[in-house]
Amino acid sequence: MGLKMGKIRTNASVCRECQACTLACSLYHEGECNLSLARLQVIKDMARYEFQILICQHCESPECLAACPSEAIVLNEQGVAVIRDDLCVRCGACAEACPYSVLFYNEARDRYLKCDLCAGRPEGPLCVAICPVGALTLEAESVTEEA
Amino acid sequence: MAGGWSGRILDVDLTTGQIGWRDTHRYTRDYLGGRAMASRIAWDEIPDGIDAFDPENRIIITTGPLTGTLAPTSGRTVMSNLSPRLYPKAWYTHSTLGGWFGAEMKYASFDGIIIKGKSPRPVYLEIRDGHARLVDAGDLWGMDARQTQITLKERMGAQAQILTIGPAGENWVRFATVQHAEDNAAGHSGFGAVWGSKNLKAIAIRGTNGVAVAHPERLMREVLELGTYKIAPFSGALYTSLYTKTKTAREHRPVCSQACTFNCQVGNYGKASDGRRIPGHCVGGIAWMTPDFLKATRYSGGGVEIPPARNFGMCEEAELHELCNSLGLDSWFRLVMQPWFVRCQQLGVRQIRGFAFDPNDVLWFEQFMRDLAYRRGLGAIFADDLMRAMDELEGELPEELIALGRRLEFAFGFPAHREGRFWDEEPLPFWVISAMMYASETRDPTIGGHHSSLLLADFILADREVSRRQFRILSEKVWGYPDALEPTFEHKAPVAIWSQHQHMLIDSFPLCDFSFPRIIVPPESREEWLATEDLTGDLDIDLRLFAAVTGIELSRAEVFLIAERAFTLERLMLARAGRHRQMEEQWLAPHFMLPCRADGTYIDAAGFARILDEYFAARGWDLEYGWPQAETLRRLGLEDAIPALEAYRRDRTRLITSESPLAVHLSS
Repeated sequence: MGLKMGKIRTNASVCRECQACTLACSLYHEGECNLSLARLQVIKDMARYEFQILICQHCESPECLAACPSEAIVLNEQGVAVIRDDLCVRCGACAEACPYSVLFYNEARDRYLKCDLCAGRPEGPLCVAICPVGALTLEAESVTEEA
Repeated sequence: MAGGWSGRILDVDLTTGQIGWRDTHRYTRDYLGGRAMASRIAWDEIPDGIDAFDPENRIIITTGPLTGTLAPTSGRTVMSNLSPRLYPKAWYTHSTLGGWFGAEMKYASFDGIIIKGKSPRPVYLEIRDGHARLVDAGDLWGMDARQTQITLKERMGAQAQILTIGPAGENWVRFATVQHAEDNAAGHSGFGAVWGSKNLKAIAIRGTNGVAVAHPERLMREVLELGTYKIAPFSGALYTSLYTKTKTAREHRPVCSQACTFNCQVGNYGKASDGRRIPGHCVGGIAWMTPDFLKATRYSGGGVEIPPARNFGMCEEAELHELCNSLGLDSWFRLVMQPWFVRCQQLGVRQIRGFAFDPNDVLWFEQFMRDLAYRRGLGAIFADDLMRAMDELEGELPEELIALGRRLEFAFGFPAHREGRFWDEEPLPFWVISAMMYASETRDPTIGGHHSSLLLADFILADREVSRRQFRILSEKVWGYPDALEPTFEHKAPVAIWSQHQHMLIDSFPLCDFSFPRIIVPPESREEWLATEDLTGDLDIDLRLFAAVTGIELSRAEVFLIAERAFTLERLMLARAGRHRQMEEQWLAPHFMLPCRADGTYIDAAGFARILDEYFAARGWDLEYGWPQAETLRRLGLEDAIPALEAYRRDRTRLITSESPLAVHLSS
């Protein structure tokens, strides 16, 4: 039985907007604490006191990948769709194609950002590790080899 | 790479509309940020001899190097200026709040905002990524604090963060708050009224930049190791089963600050009538979690009788709490005013100046809150707070009621808090430490960390002998001598000073004082606690977080020097306002002559003078005024303040009179 990186399941109803996930995400990927450079977003609707966690759902057939005209979105070794910034032409086709609106454009850096499940971090995604309420959990997909 | 500060402080003049900025690093080496940095700005820039409502009063809003980072609980904001709540006159103090505003201010590239002047018409300050402008707030004036935020978020996006006043601030209510999010407020110091006096309705910020971190991996490691870090339990925790039954962080407790990943136990959800969850912390949140919470306002001793205020029930409390936040009132007003009105009823007083009241009727109480915010009816009298209301009503009501009102806000207008008499249970020696702090600080103090004081008091209440044995080990490690927490009146000054410096640092990095300093490791159960010899926690978490973020390694001695410098400047602000030792002694001693509600201990006037002697001497302050000696100022690098302080010493006319309204009641 092989183990493939799964996806991050969200439960926004327990989220408290501490932003630890987004801060950890930007710290890990960019070396600074910057909500606008995180690969996920947490947004509160104050009028209704409801929260939204926006993060890549790691679709089986990623539409972002299919939409990219410059082959800047590729599957890495774990099968996770990641953005190759050196190939990205900033057209925004991926963000438009994404059914969950979870590819983020950072205007200041002129870059597209997407969750890569903390590729290269053996312990798994940081946002999951740091969330104090279990609003983010990693759903590891077990791939059963054909008998 | 250095990290932490954004590098700029915004300067706004509401009178002229001019906006500029200054370099944060003018202050960072000597003052770090937050409350410490504000003390320097206040000393340099708030003019001598003005009232809180003078346009020259400043609104100083600061963050620190950790704000906006992943450092747990660091998403805090500090406000400082002359406070209209203080009695008998305004002086400089601070108020801190959690939430998301401070972090957003850093992301908009500012470490602080300094506002002076008075706008000719209502305005709000809008800040977007390094750019600021004043915007007409004619349409927001009159709107409650919640609706104002929702309206401004509609204009600037859901991620904008907002500070605002409600109607209470607009009407200069002396305990009006500056509100943020659902439940965060700069509450106690009445700063909302200062905003109202300046015609400043709100500050709305949107920032998309980041905070640089010197050692990202180190910061990440520290935070992951702290995990959901259990903070100290509630008062009463050790001798009830409350603590062990308390839900964990994973059970949906609200958080009150960006970057807080801790298991805080003072947050709870209530429910609004429209089904929305309402987060509430401390007084608000506990009121609906614990049906008999307000019974703790009951006190009887030393000729003082305070009846318990009434809990109105879970739903009603949640609604009242939200109303309080919407109107922009400091919820603490209730802990003194509700029992005061109950006592009126007990003495047969049913109306005041023709206004009937029923403090145990939720509908009356709700209306009273609105009347306070709009200064209508009875509200017009009590909007100037209980102390001033007692001055207004003296001669009209039984003397006992006037005395009671003054007792309840004995701390120069602040409600009694953490002094072992009325609200929290601090047995000897904790109330002695507290008394030293009351006599020297700008506002009502908290011993140690916000929670650690209560926690340590709990130990004594749970088992005196076990705790004394543990305290001797703890005291040796933390303060360098074993009897620091012995239940005596002597040798407590080092603990008081340590606590004050810890608090200054917590408010300057900044961090949450419910979580830091981690003076002990909270035990899981009473059994575990009984089996523990050494309770000592980890006291250097703050320094490690600071070093990871800024790349600057500072020792405890170095940061304590910074804390002492800032604390001394706050004391100089008190000297400037005419506060002095003789007055402090005469105003405060009568309160500590009442028996402590936890253990019945008390102190007489001579004993009170002795503990102040010990404290002021340990500080390097003179024993006559309780003001810093010239050599103390030189040691702290504050030589520039020496001429001003010498001038204050020569001019006795500026001193606040020593005659205390409390002493009058004692002698009568």
